[in-house]
Amino acid sequence: MREKEYLKQRYAAILSSVGMILVLVGLVMLTPLLVLPAYPGEAKNAWAFALPACSLGLAGLWLKKLFRAASQRALSIQEGGMIVFISWIVAVVFSALPFMFLLGHTFSQAVFEAVSGWTTTGLSMVDVTKASPMILLWRSITQLAGGAGLAVIMMSAIVGPTGVGISIAEGRGDQLVPQVRQSARLVLIIYAGYAVVGTLSYRAVGMSFFDAVNHTFAAISTGGFSTHAESIGYWDSPAVEGVSIPLMLIGNMSFVTAWSLLRGRFRFVIRNGEVRVMAVLMPLSALAVLIFTCQSIYPGLEKATRVAAFETISALTTTGFQTVGYGNWNDLGIFILILLMLIGGGTCSTAGGVKQFRVYLLWKLLVWDIARALLPRSVIMERPIWEDDRRVFVDDARVRQVGVFVFLYSATYLLGVLLMCGCGYTLKEALFEFASALSNSGLSVGVVSPQMPGTAMWALTLSMFLGRLEFLVVITSLIKLVGDGRRLMASTSKQKGG
Amino acid sequence: MSNSLYIVIVGCGRLGSHLANQLSRVGHSVVVIDRDESTFNDLSSDFSGFRVEGDATQVTVLKEAKLKRADVFFATTHEDNVNLMVAQIARKIFNVPHVLARVFDPRRQQVFDRLGIETICPTSVAAEMFLLAVASGRAAKEEIQP
Amino acid sequence: MKVLIIGGGKTLYFLCRNFTAKGYEVVLISRNQEECVQLARRLTATVVCGDGSDPAILKEAGAMGADVVLAITPDDQDNLVICQLASLQFGVPRAVALANDPDNAEIFQKLGVSAFSATHIVSSLIEQRASLEQITNLFPVAEGKVNVTEIALDAGFPVAGKLLKEIGLPENALVAVVIRDNQPIVPRGATRLQAGDRVVLITLPENHGPVLKVFTGEEK
Repeated sequence: MREKEYLKQRYAAILSSVGMILVLVGLVMLTPLLVLPAYPGEAKNAWAFALPACSLGLAGLWLKKLFRAASQRALSIQEGGMIVFISWIVAVVFSALPFMFLLGHTFSQAVFEAVSGWTTTGLSMVDVTKASPMILLWRSITQLAGGAGLAVIMMSAIVGPTGVGISIAEGRGDQLVPQVRQSARLVLIIYAGYAVVGTLSYRAVGMSFFDAVNHTFAAISTGGFSTHAESIGYWDSPAVEGVSIPLMLIGNMSFVTAWSLLRGRFRFVIRNGEVRVMAVLMPLSALAVLIFTCQSIYPGLEKATRVAAFETISALTTTGFQTVGYGNWNDLGIFILILLMLIGGGTCSTAGGVKQFRVYLLWKLLVWDIARALLPRSVIMERPIWEDDRRVFVDDARVRQVGVFVFLYSATYLLGVLLMCGCGYTLKEALFEFASALSNSGLSVGVVSPQMPGTAMWALTLSMFLGRLEFLVVITSLIKLVGDGRRLMASTSKQKGG
Repeated sequence: MSNSLYIVIVGCGRLGSHLANQLSRVGHSVVVIDRDESTFNDLSSDFSGFRVEGDATQVTVLKEAKLKRADVFFATTHEDNVNLMVAQIARKIFNVPHVLARVFDPRRQQVFDRLGIETICPTSVAAEMFLLAVASGRAAKEEIQP
Repeated sequence: MKVLIIGGGKTLYFLCRNFTAKGYEVVLISRNQEECVQLARRLTATVVCGDGSDPAILKEAGAMGADVVLAITPDDQDNLVICQLASLQFGVPRAVALANDPDNAEIFQKLGVSAFSATHIVSSLIEQRASLEQITNLFPVAEGKVNVTEIALDAGFPVAGKLLKEIGLPENALVAVVIRDNQPIVPRGATRLQAGDRVVLITLPENHGPVLKVFTGEEK
């Protein structure tokens, strides 16, 4: 009995925070209506957004009111994970509704698109030539919001719960300043700054205002949705690509690193492992792709270089913008892209993949192991690594976490590829598209379409979700939910029985 | 939130961690310094400040905590001398506006009041309260037994 | 002169022995019971066992009548508190603290406590071998009451190129002779010191350090 009461209290606190988040997500859902002044003909479609937005808002308010007493309780990290899990699922389901209402998508297709948006992946089932501007803007906004993260969105409200556990669960545990709320605000400000700079830059190189806004949102969130079917290739312009590349790199950079840069602390930026990984991988991969793939396909060295550079950066930052299709690429080029996608972007940024910090750490572990083997037995060797402005020593717990994560990632990847092949895709297609989904990249060889088989679609949807929340949150929350559910039910039946 | 302070706390024992938890919860920026990393486990799960592991009697550690930005400084280690030393450094070298040190030994407290360091002596405070309890207990007893 | 030394280990023992040889009255304070017993057996000084940063112990050790308090424990915070207690509560004229962390030497000075850093001394020994070669302590005169030292002037020394009367020597110090190109010169106020000169100084132990500093310009 006591346990049941206790559980109820904890869930009251959890749901109170969820309520807060849902209210804000509801507000976010109303933003596509901002296009109405420019596209008055769309007013008839406004309900498709207003309705879910209001339902979400009301549901959130109701939850908050119901559990108001619980709102001030401190939440543990597991509970933060639970909040993230529940909020994301509710947000995704409601976000899918406009796609169902306006485009006639099935539930599976709509959820796919919504998940692709919130996880900043960028794989799409939408026919952008026929979609209303509100739908296009909505897609970009889901990426913008997903890139910021629900924790940051939640703490943008003036009052309400602080979200240390929630931030950690969403993979944004590192703070910029010693107060989680202020840190979240700073992230929002930096993010908004990116958005303004990006939009102005895109306008300057010739995009329409609508396109500029949408592509900026997709670039800084490393999402990759585009208002055109050919993505960035639509413009075939070195200027547009030249603006896209820095935006993708900025979005890929951890907010903490960005903060260090803004304050002029270049020393720490240079020592940063992720910056180093980028500095090595980017030129190497671009060069490799240029020499072995692009040179032979595209006319002229200039075009080939542009393509090689753009696609590799899009893959490594897990953005998903494309300037070309990959139908005529050789396997080496495709494989390099797969590798880049899986390695992924920076931690505590909007990018996906295994994350460069982990890759950097694994590399350093190898180097240290070799060094260790060369030292005399009694020498003590410590393993320092720079985490932005602090020097940390890598202990075995850290190594274990990274190891387990990489294992999970690889296992899921292989399972997913197996599934996709089972649905009839070639090995190359399966390897590429599943990597793209799992790493939240969004590059596509054409597998993703409204006609794809349901199993494959859900496999990709789930992988996007798991990849974004880095597995453990989803797994532990599910297990906890089931276990707590049983405990809550068990007590009830005990009560009824006796 | 507009009056959010930058608070540095040396010593993450029972007092230090309690202060840190409360202040962080209310919205202040808190940095906690302790020599022993395991004491940070006493911080609550919603503590959103920074943790610095190191010996606060070394200036480099205080600089790492960005002490010159601090508005408030609390010295709450188990050693009186450490508290007194870091409090003086905070006040006189880093010019932190508000500095408070815990000192267990009442005899040391007197000297440091002279140096201009605000101290709190749990021993004296507790002694006062105990004595008060005896005095009021005696008064109550006298009421019962006239 | 009555000296109070607080600390432990071999340094404490040898310092005490050195001071008693010079005729000072020494009181030792150490926390370690066993060490105190050994010290008491081998030295003629008074040995107090306790925490030197505790005012009560300082009082028992006779801080009220002490001329010098020397705090050389391995913990900087204790050394600081001991010296501050000594000067503020007991009015001891000279209280010197060992700063184990060299950064603290400057900090202690700012807080009003004289401090020295062993790290500094040892590292200067190793790094500035050049200047060590230039300073030779010659024979002790009058049972160590007077120091005679020879310094070879470097071009970088602040006194190089100055007139003798401009240098600003502390009290009770004398430039006895200047050797230039192997020729001895008995200097007057108008003698100009040059780089490459070898200067023979007469100093007392108290001003030995400051005088050397005037010549070499070295910060401690």
